[in-house]
Amino acid sequence: MIRNSFFKILILALIIASLGVLSIYSSTFQKEGMQWQDIYKRQILWLIIGLACFFLMAKSNYRKLWDANYLIYAIALFFLLLVFGLGVIRLGAQRWLKFAWFNFQPSEFAKLAIIIFLARYFSRKSIDDTSLLSGKFGIFQGIILPLIFVAVPMVLIIEQPDLGSGLMLMLVFVGLLYLTHVQIKYIVILFLSLILPLPFFWHFLHDYQKQRLLVFLNPNIDPLGAGYTVIQSRIAIGSGGLFGKGWLRGSQSQLYFLPESHTDFIFATFSEQWGVVGSVLLVVIYYLIIRQGFVIAQRTQDSFGKLLAYGISLLLTLQVFINIAMNMGLAPVVGLPLPLMSYGGSSVLVTFISLGILVNIDRTRNVF
Amino acid sequence: MERKSILNLIVICMFAVLVCGILNLSLLQGVKFRRLSDSNCIRLISQSGSRGNILDRNGKVIVDNKISYDVMILPQDLNHLDQILGLIGRIIGIEVKELKANFKKNFISSSVPVTVATNIKLSDAILLGERKIEQPSIIVTPKPLRHYPYGALASHVIGYVNEIDRWRLTKLEDYGYKTKDIVGFGGVEEKYDYYLRQEEGGLSVEVNHRGKFMRVLGFAPPRNGKDVMLTLDLGIQKIVEENLDGRKGSVVLLDPFSGEILAMANYPNFNPAVFVSKRAKQIAGLFNDPDAPLINRAISSSYPPASMFKVVLASVGLELKKINQTTTFVCQGSTMVGARKFSCWDTHGPEDIFRAIAHSCDVFFYKTGLLSGAQNIHDYALKLGLGHTLGFDLSGETAGFIPSPLWRKLNKFQNWYDGDTANLSIGQGDCLMTPLQAANLLAVFANRGYLLTPYIVKSVGGLDLSAKKRRITAVPFKKSTFETINRGLARVVSDSQGTGNALASLPVKVAGKTGTAQVSRGATHAWFVGFFPADKPKYVICVFLENGGPGHAACIVAKQIIEAMNTQGLI
Repeated sequence: MIRNSFFKILILALIIASLGVLSIYSSTFQKEGMQWQDIYKRQILWLIIGLACFFLMAKSNYRKLWDANYLIYAIALFFLLLVFGLGVIRLGAQRWLKFAWFNFQPSEFAKLAIIIFLARYFSRKSIDDTSLLSGKFGIFQGIILPLIFVAVPMVLIIEQPDLGSGLMLMLVFVGLLYLTHVQIKYIVILFLSLILPLPFFWHFLHDYQKQRLLVFLNPNIDPLGAGYTVIQSRIAIGSGGLFGKGWLRGSQSQLYFLPESHTDFIFATFSEQWGVVGSVLLVVIYYLIIRQGFVIAQRTQDSFGKLLAYGISLLLTLQVFINIAMNMGLAPVVGLPLPLMSYGGSSVLVTFISLGILVNIDRTRNVF
Repeated sequence: MERKSILNLIVICMFAVLVCGILNLSLLQGVKFRRLSDSNCIRLISQSGSRGNILDRNGKVIVDNKISYDVMILPQDLNHLDQILGLIGRIIGIEVKELKANFKKNFISSSVPVTVATNIKLSDAILLGERKIEQPSIIVTPKPLRHYPYGALASHVIGYVNEIDRWRLTKLEDYGYKTKDIVGFGGVEEKYDYYLRQEEGGLSVEVNHRGKFMRVLGFAPPRNGKDVMLTLDLGIQKIVEENLDGRKGSVVLLDPFSGEILAMANYPNFNPAVFVSKRAKQIAGLFNDPDAPLINRAISSSYPPASMFKVVLASVGLELKKINQTTTFVCQGSTMVGARKFSCWDTHGPEDIFRAIAHSCDVFFYKTGLLSGAQNIHDYALKLGLGHTLGFDLSGETAGFIPSPLWRKLNKFQNWYDGDTANLSIGQGDCLMTPLQAANLLAVFANRGYLLTPYIVKSVGGLDLSAKKRRITAVPFKKSTFETINRGLARVVSDSQGTGNALASLPVKVAGKTGTAQVSRGATHAWFVGFFPADKPKYVICVFLENGGPGHAACIVAKQIIEAMNTQGLI
């Protein structure tokens, strides 16, 4: 009963997660204070919880998500709104909700919720001939209506402010649209209408966001401020060499030169210690796991399952790509974690839940 | 193409971009980033060893080092610069503005510690050291500095230390000298710099992003320079300097059998300590002083020897058998050479060689010189170590000059006349010698026949160099020549009419010769060269006073020196 893709995904995810724990340990073991010393244990705890969710999701039929779709969307919106009122401000952004002993980041869950919502929206069938409705969608139903549903949580996320997650959601939206039967001209119209007013959005950006974009174009304009992280992260990756400096020997990450070395910039931490060999291997593992997602999507007949699998794979792809690219200075610095590697309970949980859904889609497809 | 395959292609491209990015950063630009990473976290804190000491012949310290403390800061954490400088300023009592100026001046890069204050007090250094925990970017390093316990004593022999100049740097770069190195200038400090100089050691430490010390990566112990032992006798040197003080000139004392310099003093002199404390005004004063206090007159300046040269004339005459012990010339106050009248400084009547040396009779030596010939005088002078450098082991030695007819012809296109010979015979004219050459000349008579190579460095780093430095050449004169001249030199002092009679009252018998050199401008130069005790010479002394008046003045200085040496039991 347990299928091939289940093991493949589980083993690949566990490899990445273990490397993540090693990197988190290496970047924090020299820091003073109990909360730093224990951080890798917390990550292990999150991984265990994440695995439990993975198994749970792998067992329970994903079609239940079809039914729970509006509820999930509503809960996600509710938490995002809650962040406004009660959010914990950390690193200048209000992204977290404080629970008993952990901080919860609703935007991570919102990403998944929106994907579920979109997958359902575009896989509704016509009552008459059970063909997909999305092929007949006009511009309002095909673009504008789903855009509104995406835009509400997205604006909330961007306002936190979390520009990275917000823009990524938009990319996932465009990607999913592309995979549905919505006519290509509508997608082009949407894309253009997103790109063209970008210069006007410039004025709505926070100063630090403008700064980050400018710094992305040239990190050396502000080497001690906004550009500092990118410069240090590039130094960390570049100084690793072929085989790296060795575990626990990364001077960049362990001597605090690299900020956020255990969260957003964990790839640089890893790369410094394991070198080209390690980082290329890691990228390949990420590719394999994502490849599994796309393969599952392609062989699934159920259009909801198919779109859901595509959406989850796209989400993972974009997160991995943007995070690693920003580590190397190829993308502007945005607050995006590297799935499975970065420290952070919400991200670990959501990623494992997503993978669980993927496995379940693959398992259930033959039932039909 | 289907939409999904295009998407697949896009995804593959995205991952390919990531792999290319990694390869670009780590392999193509890896070396650059590796260096950046090291300079991020590795700091070199240099510790200098101490420069070798300079000792006298008995191992007493003439120049050593004392520990001074420098304050450096790691410039990583520039946000707190004002606060840190404020703290330092409060403790060592220097205005923040000055510290800031120093910081700006000495800043090289953010990875090199910057010196903001030098030479602070020990108590301040301790106070600053205690702040290490709260301000880890402050570094207090001990630095040995040149210390001159006797101030200006033997300053010309020792030289001074200062930051390397461009000219020396280009010359010495291959030997491991770097910009901002402290090197010797002049004297032993310069000549033996390679041995005296310390090797820099230091710590390489790892720091974190705030410049906070994390751990020591490596340590190379600094190595001290080698000690240089001089032939100088500190006691004699002190006496000499005390007695020369205030009179422009120089005194040289040497051992007539080995050539070791026992004392070498010049005035005006300088205190090398001003170069250590970097008092710019005083340093500029030294360089601009028309009296040239930085010049080692004893070896670097040459003067007309005047009557002192008569010793050479006596040797030439005796060796060439133009005169003997019984030869007598009558001094009538002057003599005619050709159509010109050459006068003596007094009317001496009939003079044999002993009286002539004692009275320094010019007429006797005019006649001896004319009998011997100018070329012979020149040749013998060269045999006695004049007119060329002696191979002394400090740099800056000048050759002096002995004219000859051939030289005159070749260089001035003029003929040599008997008048020139007469002039040369009494050490005037173009004739020049250094005080060291004068002392060395007398040493030939003191040791009866050996031309020495004077030297001043006895051993380096415990390795005795005397055997190498002692280069003695025999002067093939007849024994009677030396005996005759030495008797004459003894009578200079013992004869009641002798020009050096002032020295007769000393309990030590001294033999020597005075000189009073005419100069074109100003008072005459005063010379006294001699050796003592006269019958069993232990020391050769040369006292030279620039524009110091008659030779008598030099005798007085020599007398005071010998007297002090005698009372201190140094003879």
